[in-house]
Parts: sequence; C-alpha cells; structure tokens
Amino acid sequence: MLNATQERIDTKWAEELPELDDLQAGAIRRIANLSRQLPGDWSGMMGREIVLSEDFGALRFQLSYMAYALALAHVHRLPAAPGVFKQPFDNIITKLMHPDCWHYWSNVSTGMGALNKDLGPQPRAWDPVAKENIMYSAYLQSTALMYHYIFRDDKYAKPNAMRLRLKTLFWQEGGYLFEYDENSLTDLIYWQMAEQGFLGVACEPGLIFQACNQPNIIGFRMHDLIYGGSLAKDAEKGYVAAWKEFGIVDETGNFSTFVKVNSRTPIVLESSQLNCWLMTLLHSWNPEVVEQQYPVLMERFLSEGPNGTKWVNPSQRLPVPPDPGEEPLFPVLDMAWAACAASEVGDADTLDGLLGYADLMLNAAWQDGGYYYKRRDANFDENGYFIGMDAAAGNALFHYARLNVKDGLNKLYSGPLDEAHFSDPALVELPEDVDVRRAVFDRDRAALVLTLGAMPAGRTIQLGVRAPEDADFPLVAADGEPFDGDVERTEYGFCLTFRHHDRTTLVLQW
Amino acid sequence: MVTVVPVASFNLTDHHGRPATNMTFAGSFLLVYFGFTHCKVVCPRSLGKLSRVLDRLGEQAQGVVALYITVDPARDTPDVMRAYLEEKHPRFLGLTGSEDEIAHAKRAFRVFAEFKGDDQAPDGYVVPHSAIAYLMSPDGKLLDHFIDALDEDEVAQRMSAAIR
Repeated sequence: MLNATQERIDTKWAEELPELDDLQAGAIRRIANLSRQLPGDWSGMMGREIVLSEDFGALRFQLSYMAYALALAHVHRLPAAPGVFKQPFDNIITKLMHPDCWHYWSNVSTGMGALNKDLGPQPRAWDPVAKENIMYSAYLQSTALMYHYIFRDDKYAKPNAMRLRLKTLFWQEGGYLFEYDENSLTDLIYWQMAEQGFLGVACEPGLIFQACNQPNIIGFRMHDLIYGGSLAKDAEKGYVAAWKEFGIVDETGNFSTFVKVNSRTPIVLESSQLNCWLMTLLHSWNPEVVEQQYPVLMERFLSEGPNGTKWVNPSQRLPVPPDPGEEPLFPVLDMAWAACAASEVGDADTLDGLLGYADLMLNAAWQDGGYYYKRRDANFDENGYFIGMDAAAGNALFHYARLNVKDGLNKLYSGPLDEAHFSDPALVELPEDVDVRRAVFDRDRAALVLTLGAMPAGRTIQLGVRAPEDADFPLVAADGEPFDGDVERTEYGFCLTFRHHDRTTLVLQW
Repeated sequence: MVTVVPVASFNLTDHHGRPATNMTFAGSFLLVYFGFTHCKVVCPRSLGKLSRVLDRLGEQAQGVVALYITVDPARDTPDVMRAYLEEKHPRFLGLTGSEDEIAHAKRAFRVFAEFKGDDQAPDGYVVPHSAIAYLMSPDGKLLDHFIDALDEDEVAQRMSAAIR
C-alpha cells in the first residue's frame, strides 16, 4: 500500500473536460436506483395507462430504454466508468426476464383486439419470444447483446443464460420455463424477420410495427460487432426493400406505423409519439430518412411553452374507451419521444426546450439522489399546458434524451469501442451512492480523470481502477493537490481508499 | 426450445420427374433458392448472379448442388421448370411438388412467399417471395445465407470461405 503521491502533477487540463451536470448525474442515479429494487418491486415504475402491459406503460419499455440510456451515457459521456453502469444494466436485463414483464403475452397472443380481430381467435402462447411479440423479444435480445458489446461480458451468450421462468402454485403444475441465450434469440428473431420478407416480426398477432422492429436490428448490429457477420446489414437491406411496398414514410410525411400482414394494409397514425419513437431508433442505421423528415414533423408537433420552453400537445390516445365517469388520460410520451428524437438528431434548441418544459411543468422530483419526473395522473393545467406524467417517460425517456448526445445511437450502432477501450485504465468498482461526473482516459497523457460528485456527508470510500497487469503505481492528484489517500494493488489494477465529501477530481497518471 | 434456423428438409420431385429429398443430396453442399419461373425480375437476377458465382468458384464449387425450389407448384411442373432452367440457368436443378410438399419445404427454410393478384401478370397473379440463397452443409445445416442485395463479389467470397 502506498500513501499519497509524492509529486505534484499538472491537472488543470482535466478540469476543462466535459462534466455531467447535476440533472444528468441525477438521471443516472435514478435509473441505477430503480435497477437495484428487489425482484418484483416495481415501486415508482408502474404506469398510469392500460394495465396488463399492453401499451407503452408496460415495464418492458421503461426498463429497456433505461438500459439504452445507460449505454449511451457510458459510451459517450463516461467511457472510463464501466463500474457505474455495468451492474445496473445487468440488473435491468434480469428484471426484463421477470414474468411481470412478459406474461401478458399469454393474453395478447390470443388476438381479437381492435386492430387484429379480423384474424379470428389465435392459439394462446406462453413462450414470449418463440413467435411474434417483437415488442418484448427484441428488447431482451438487444439489451443482452448491447451489454455484451459495451462491457465485453458474454454471460448471456452461455447456453440457456436467459431463463424465462414463471412459477405457479394453483395452476399449471411446474409453471413455465423458456430458456434462450443471446444467439438463439437472435436466430429466432432474424429468421422470423426473413420469413416475413424482412418487413419485420409482428408485435400483436398479424401486426408489424416499424418502431418495434428497430431494437432487433440494433441487436443484430451488436451481434455483428461481437461475432462478426452481416445480420444487421442484411436486415437493413431487406427491410428497406420490403417497406418499399408501403413506404417507410407515407405521402403525408408521417412514418408508416404498422402493416396488417394478412391484408398487406399499411396503417399510418399521425402521432408525434409514434413518429418520434421511430425516428429516435431508425436514426441508428438510416439517419438520412430521419433527418429528412424530422424538421417536417417537428414543425407540426412543437408548441411554445412558458419561459421559453417547448412542449408537445398530446393528441393521440389509444383506442380504448374510458368507463363512465373516467377521465381519459393523455400520454406524455409524445413529448418524451420528441425529446429523444431531438437528442439523437442533435436539435439542441428543441431538446433544451422540451427538457426545460419537463423540469418546469412535469412534476420533477429528487429521491435518493436520483432525479426523475414523478407520475401525475392529470392532463392540463388552467393555462392549457399539459402537466401529466407517467413512469416510462419520467424514469426512462426524458433521461434517455438528457444523457444522449448528437448521433448517439447512430454512433453506438457504428461500433465505437476499440480494443484499447477494454484494457485502458477505467473505474470498475465504486460505492453505489457515489456520483461520477467525469470518467475519461486520455491515452496521450496516459492519465485517467475521475470527477466525483459531492456527497451529503463525508466518509471513507474505495474506488477500484482497472489497469494493465504490469502497470506501475500511478501518480495521483486530487483537485490538483497530492492525493492523501491510499493506493493498493489489486488483482485487476488498483484500489484507492480515501475520504470523500466535496466534489473531487482525481487524476491518475502513469 | 424452438428450432429456428433453416434446415434442409424436403421431399419433392426434380425437373426430370425423379424423387428428390434432402437425403438425395446428402454429402453435397446445397445452394438453395426459392422462386417461381414466371418471376420477371428477382429470380432471373438472383439465379444469374448465383450461376456466375458458381462459375467463378470453378473446381471449388464442384461439390455444390444448386437447387431452385418453386413457390408456385401449380404452374411450375417438372417440365416447365426443366424448360426454364435448361434454357436460362442450367446450373440449377428445379424442384417442385404438391402444395403440401412445397409448404413443408418453405417452413423448413423459413421462406416467405405469398400469392398476390396482378392484372398485368400471366394468370393474374405473382408470388412475391424471399430473395435469399441458402448455403447448406453436406449434412443439411445452414452454413450461410445471401440476400439478394449482396453483390456477386461478396457472395463469391463468403461462399468460398464457407465451402473451403
């Protein structure tokens, strides 16, 4: 063990590096906090929309976009801090496999809904990934592969690593167990897509949605980045060719929402939510069409809000009639997805305006160091501004928008992580309640910069830093001064033990 | 566990009228393409490209049997397929069968094909279909697949690597 650093090192340059602000750090904290809730504890995550997981209020969407937000924040903002993100990301995948996230399929698979009753009754299915239901399977597939790619951890590649287990007591003795891994799931989805001429895989029976068929393509790309091959390229080309029949974008400028497979009928909903959701994801591999339509559509969707903010008037409700006396709730997702789309295409004015509106009007709150927008079952205030909030937007989508960078998903899709990324010094272990505002390894300077946020009370903490096996002890500075903690060699690098209270920038130089 | 990847499983009739199952070709690599002889654009383009790839691979492709399985068995009888292929794509052996036999083969290869009315087409219909060539190992497993959008060079390079 070494005490303190013997020499003073130049660290001024480190303070000029970009740093997460309080709300960005609070967004990461909120997602991490939710990821650590015990199995089956969905406190603060339950939707206000339709129950039984049919619509975007379903947990699977919220969890998946929490994971995507973590991926974007890690890759683009805190690349040298896998320790901040890896466990929460993995926790989210584990939660996605909880039956609360998928047993709805046993109902939805039977069809006879407003959009697909023409198919007639369909057989009840329990396996939520075997056929159709891409609005679940693609998220499980893409998050597992994204986890593998960004953390280089193959745990979900191992046979039967994904266990979809539903334990029962008074019915179906033995319950249900469906076992997959990231590769078998990818094969399953890819060949279902091929079987539909690459138009996509259905969500509900007989309905192929564009938005729901983007996560699987992103998953294919993660697969190709890990294993090689061209699943994503093949799917992209096949998709473009297949959608020529209907138009990815229709003559009104809206993106086609879905196709009824049996009748080959495209349905276009003039929904800001659906358009912006698709634009956010499609920008990963087809930025040209998104950037062409984005200004056209946003011109229609955006309104001026109070104090120079921007908002989106929610106009599209799901086709479920309210009960007598029930006030229908309008979704906040229009605004949340608009913010996501703005973040991806790099429309900073719109993004700032929408996030500003959310901060001002949409029930912003702090809990356990996490920043979020608390669910509020309301529609409009006395001035006609929308004030409702739901869990998917408040815990996931606005965070996604806040943490993303221009072209963030597109860059992740391109495969930005080189070999050195996985061996360069990085923060791999830290206490759960420590916020990281900077985490960058500067290869030219051979220096790791870690800025930690202030804590409510000072205490001794430990940070685990990955370093090459033969690395010397680093010179360490804290806020430009010699480090007064301990540095100990570990099996993976070094452990720093020190008292932390106020915001601190550590520079470890080799 | 669901079997998801295409497998060579079929019980059909070749364009000489002989029975042709996957076991008939056991021990050979198979290059399998589904289509229909009235196809105006996609099949001629794909079959032409795949034929040129086989030519380019020369001796290396000697162990490859190229099969063209119809998705339109009502019109594509053995004689029709023979006439079409021998004239235009002689590298390929045509396979046809009953509706049920073709449906089984389509399921095994996870092929998309559907009948669609078209007033301009002969008999008033076309059959849009998957434009994928499947490269199968001598024991009937999928080695690689080539979508129509791939160019000749890439198909040749990937096929060469797979059958080496």
